Amino acid sequence: MFTINKKLFISMSAAAALSLSLTACMDSATPADTKSAKKASIDGGVMYPIANGKTGPYYVNTKAHNQKVHFGRTPTEKEYEEWDSDIMPDGTGLPEGEGSVEEGEEVYESKCVMCHGDFGSGGGGYPSLSKGNAYELHETLTNQRIKPDTDGPVRVFGTYWPQATTLFWYIKDAMPHPMTDSLSDDQVYALVAYILNINEMEIDGQEVDDEYVLNREKFLKIKMPNANGFEPSIDGPNGPDNIRKYFSNPDNFGAQKVKPAERCMTNCQEPTAKVVYIKGAGISDFHPPLSAVRDLPKEKETGFNAAKAYEANCAMCHSADGMGAPVIGDKAAWANYTAKGMDKVYSNGIHGINGMPPKGGADLSDTHFKSVVDYIVNKSK
Amino acid sequence: MKTTDNLIKEKIVDIKKSQQDLDSLDTKSSSVDRRDFLAKTAALSVTALAGTSLLASEEAGDPRILEPQEWGTKWGDPITKNLYGMPSKYEHNVTRRYTKLLASGNFRASIAVTPIQESSGIITPNGLFFSRSHGGVAHIDPNEHRLMITGLVEKPLVLTMKQLKRYPSVTRVHFIECPANGGQEWRGPQYNSLQFAKGFMSCAEWTGVYIKDILKDLGLKPEAKWMLAEGGDSSKMGRTIPVDKVLDDAMIVWGQNGEALRPEQGYPIRLLVPGWEGNLSVKWLRRLDFASEPWYCKEETSKYTVLKPNGKAVQHFYANEVNSTVTSPSPEIDWTDLKDGDVVEIEGLAWSGMGTITGVDISFDGGKTYKEASLKGLVLPKCWTRWSYMHTYKKGEELLLTSRAMDDAGYIQPTIDQEVLKVGVEAVYHRNAVETWKVEKDGKVTHVEIRSPYERKENGELVIEGKA
Repeated sequence: MFTINKKLFISMSAAAALSLSLTACMDSATPADTKSAKKASIDGGVMYPIANGKTGPYYVNTKAHNQKVHFGRTPTEKEYEEWDSDIMPDGTGLPEGEGSVEEGEEVYESKCVMCHGDFGSGGGGYPSLSKGNAYELHETLTNQRIKPDTDGPVRVFGTYWPQATTLFWYIKDAMPHPMTDSLSDDQVYALVAYILNINEMEIDGQEVDDEYVLNREKFLKIKMPNANGFEPSIDGPNGPDNIRKYFSNPDNFGAQKVKPAERCMTNCQEPTAKVVYIKGAGISDFHPPLSAVRDLPKEKETGFNAAKAYEANCAMCHSADGMGAPVIGDKAAWANYTAKGMDKVYSNGIHGINGMPPKGGADLSDTHFKSVVDYIVNKSK
Repeated sequence: MKTTDNLIKEKIVDIKKSQQDLDSLDTKSSSVDRRDFLAKTAALSVTALAGTSLLASEEAGDPRILEPQEWGTKWGDPITKNLYGMPSKYEHNVTRRYTKLLASGNFRASIAVTPIQESSGIITPNGLFFSRSHGGVAHIDPNEHRLMITGLVEKPLVLTMKQLKRYPSVTRVHFIECPANGGQEWRGPQYNSLQFAKGFMSCAEWTGVYIKDILKDLGLKPEAKWMLAEGGDSSKMGRTIPVDKVLDDAMIVWGQNGEALRPEQGYPIRLLVPGWEGNLSVKWLRRLDFASEPWYCKEETSKYTVLKPNGKAVQHFYANEVNSTVTSPSPEIDWTDLKDGDVVEIEGLAWSGMGTITGVDISFDGGKTYKEASLKGLVLPKCWTRWSYMHTYKKGEELLLTSRAMDDAGYIQPTIDQEVLKVGVEAVYHRNAVETWKVEKDGKVTHVEIRSPYERKENGELVIEGKA
């Protein structure tokens, strides 16, 4: 979406004209090491401006960093627009369009549920999109699991994300995971409507119920429950300075500052501090298993194991109901598919169908993939 | 539609289930442990024997010395073989590793971590550099790749890779660290492994161009405060970076340890934001856009934010703070082969995204008392730094080895208590409290934490349990 609101794009001719007359202006906007060196670093750390031909321990060719170098060309407006998919909180870049909760549910059931689970509940490591009412669960953000039996904070879209534009942008650019940038603007509006619905959210006092139709105008009225849940404030002309100020105080982010000569050398732990061990084996499901031995690698198994390949690549969607994929062992479901001929079943799998990416996202040759399909079909007879 | 109550119940079940999953790992891993144990005890008995009196078999001499080896008497490979060299086959265990618990559903949105227990010096070889992607490792044809710079600049720009490399280059050694390094251990130790406890980072020599050098001719407008960096891979990873940092030391890099970036590192180009959260060093970079307001990308709001006990989260938390670890010994390469009285080097890494390491202290009692260790080798800004301490090992001694680093920005690593009391245990990211290895009586090394029990006050503040 092309706007001149916050990201001014200047066409080729205008840019060329400007470049002739802007030398003085550009000098003031030029990266000035000396200027920034006077300010505290924005991250609370130190900077190493070029001085006496060096930055920190590194020598530099100062002439290389003091003059303008130019290669490349000006992009065309069309090129810019093609890649300009970002959407800012004020709506810059948000396209026109509309979609209903009902349509969103349809898209969700065919393209999203296999990973994000029923009603966005997550599963198999994939992120949850909702855990229930966003306004109520927002209150859990003060939960700290300092005791083994306490509940943690719920950090999903509805309870945690500060801006709804992030969701639209992210779905449009990066979802569905195996086939990104494949949804229409209307489909994304519908999915956003559905996700607002399962988070039991409201827009402008109106519940996003099953009948709700979302469009650009209504979208811009979304108020996220946790919009004020973040620090420091990064918006507006003072944003960067707010950050600089925030990180100048170690207390804000759990850091400790000390003069080296005054650092603690004895009695540096609280008397209450005890040795805490790993519970059980902890996390130890490592691949390959830990080993520091020097030996020859084991000969790799040459035989292809369809059952193992199924477990590794397919089971996450095909082993349980509700993932949108036909379940292994469901004789009726698979008979329907095989009735159309095995070639059709192979082809659907190899090229992907509905929510299933090509070969289920597995890195298998066609021959191996077909033997996995055979394995599933045989298990479903 | 499910009711809220049901969903909450399910959530609780989820949490309980994941705890059970962790518990059940116990039994699954026992066979591996046993194999390790057998291998280690075998090695131990051999060294123990070698150190004491000679046995009959040893009096006969070591056949590895007395008899010619095959590789000493027969031709090796011609130089025409392996035109791109690979490590010895015997080094196959020195490799990146992954675990399912660190996968967001599948291994295309996941991380494989660096075997820092085997690292030497301050450079990670390109094949071992930790690998994190959000939509899989993209394989980009460099001839077809473009970099576009737009927004609040007087002259927008599009570059081919060949044109980009015409800009004056700079070469710097910097670590890249995922801010979730150690992030699974806020509530207690979980990994009996250096590779997994601290290996979400690597260090390399990078070659590229300062973005400020490209901007000189493009004319950055004064109202430009933020830069969006976006990748060209399927995840279109985007992050907002303040112009302050862009004009300081941010780079676009194409070279890594003297060769092209590996695909896992963003070939042909990635952003390099020295010292800051690794996620900001966007890989497969295709677009830089300048604006007066920040973008609120998915990875800087839903993730990479630090939730504190008061319910507020730190956003735009940039630098990886001063940190260190003991790398030798480690749970992977322990001291079971040491004899009483052996003089052994304790070695480690220290690093800070806020500046240069100025010193490292070592503790043998879990951070109660410290002694000064020595820095060694090159000491560079925002770079791994080696440190060392010589120790005379007493057979049967129990030690709690803890290291603590300082940097020239004035920071020192906090204790676990100090850090938790400020930011709680739900932060996920930016954990830099001191780390402890327990050396057991038999020389085995176990990951532990030295920490107090906590309780929560009415106002949400965390305090040490029972402390007035």
